[in-house]
Amino acid sequence: MTVSGQEIADYVDRVRAALADLSPKVRDELTEDLPEHLAEVAAEADGTLVDRLGTPEAYAAELRGAAGADGHPERSSLDRRLAAAHNRVSTQLRALDTQLGPLLGYASVSEFLRPLRPAWWLLRGWLVALLVSALHGESPGLLPRFDGSVLAGLFLLAGAVLASVWLGHRSAGFRGWPRWLLRLGTAALLLFTVPTLFNLDQRANVQLVSVYDPYESVQDVFVYDEQGRLIPNAQLFDQHGTPIELGSPTCEQSGDRPEPTNGYPRYYPYCPDLAPFGPPAPLPAPPAPLPAPPAPLPAPSAAAPDPAAPTASTSPTAAAPTEGTSTEASESPRPGPEPTR
Amino acid sequence: MDTTQLLKGVLDLAVLAVLRDQDGYGYDILRRLREAGLEDVGDASVYGTLRRLFAAGLLTTYVVPSESGPHRKYYALNAAGRDQLARSGKTWRSFATTMNALLDDRGMAA
Repeated sequence: MTVSGQEIADYVDRVRAALADLSPKVRDELTEDLPEHLAEVAAEADGTLVDRLGTPEAYAAELRGAAGADGHPERSSLDRRLAAAHNRVSTQLRALDTQLGPLLGYASVSEFLRPLRPAWWLLRGWLVALLVSALHGESPGLLPRFDGSVLAGLFLLAGAVLASVWLGHRSAGFRGWPRWLLRLGTAALLLFTVPTLFNLDQRANVQLVSVYDPYESVQDVFVYDEQGRLIPNAQLFDQHGTPIELGSPTCEQSGDRPEPTNGYPRYYPYCPDLAPFGPPAPLPAPPAPLPAPPAPLPAPSAAAPDPAAPTASTSPTAAAPTEGTSTEASESPRPGPEPTR
Repeated sequence: MDTTQLLKGVLDLAVLAVLRDQDGYGYDILRRLREAGLEDVGDASVYGTLRRLFAAGLLTTYVVPSESGPHRKYYALNAAGRDQLARSGKTWRSFATTMNALLDDRGMAA
């Protein structure tokens, strides 16, 4: 057989559309066996149905004449107008179908879409599985879950896909209420799952943002007091008292600071010599202060001049905190030993 | 003269006739009609005629499962159908006789 069930279903649809002015009862009587009959015709010879039987509209006209079924006077004018409108719309849709086909490289859009039907069946199965999963109160995800289990969700997915494919094979022959039920179900399915998918998409974007860590590039932390002095061996904690772990203690010159064991406790900065704004404030009594490098102080230090600076020459004992400036450092080469004399 | 016009008047009778000895399904009936020489008969005409004769209560139907393909709906004459066949057949024969005589009188070759 070279004619697909879908072609037969389409042909029957168009015949029914051309008989739209008949009462539904008469039309159903005339066409209820048509799919089976056309399948017989299709099985007997090669070629498309249109090749052998002519257009569905011509077929419908011949059928109408042979069956002695003409427009029924008992039908209301509204019914007839609706039927005529339905006819007009379907004619225009068919014209559009053929006009847009070449854009896709096909004779018609429906010819392009027809081979994609199994793909739709798969998609439909997946959407049903997502819907069942969501109705069970599972949080929405790309894979359905069932009672929190991914495995059960996969079984659900497989079952839904198989059922959808099974249905897809049979639904082409649906007429009357089963067909309307199917359409209604499809509409409801899309109505429920499309918002879910949008929701899911938004969540994925939010997660993308939260995954980005602005402190990822931080290697060391330098804490300055309000005077702009570097605070050595600072510890950082969050609101729960949990140590904040930033950077990595890779610096070799840990000096006299306590060596962190297992990374805790951590003392910042790891590498005081790499301070971006001048060297660390000296400890209360450094044994031998290093000559301060001629590093210019940054804005925060300059704005708050060290109050101890002017007294440095007269009172060398106060030299300790002044080491931040290069001039003071040269004037008091040995501030440490002074008090011991 | 277009035979399709003639067929319209006698298709009922032709369909009843091919069902007299043997039940048949739609495409089968079409094939019998064509084999009998009614080559111009259209599928939709036969299908529509079957539906109308069935609706008029002259035919009964039954479904036979098919091994290869869809189930087939077989049509069979019932008593009313046989009765109709007999009456229509008589009408046709008398009509045809009249027409033949008319043409013979005017010297037309058969």
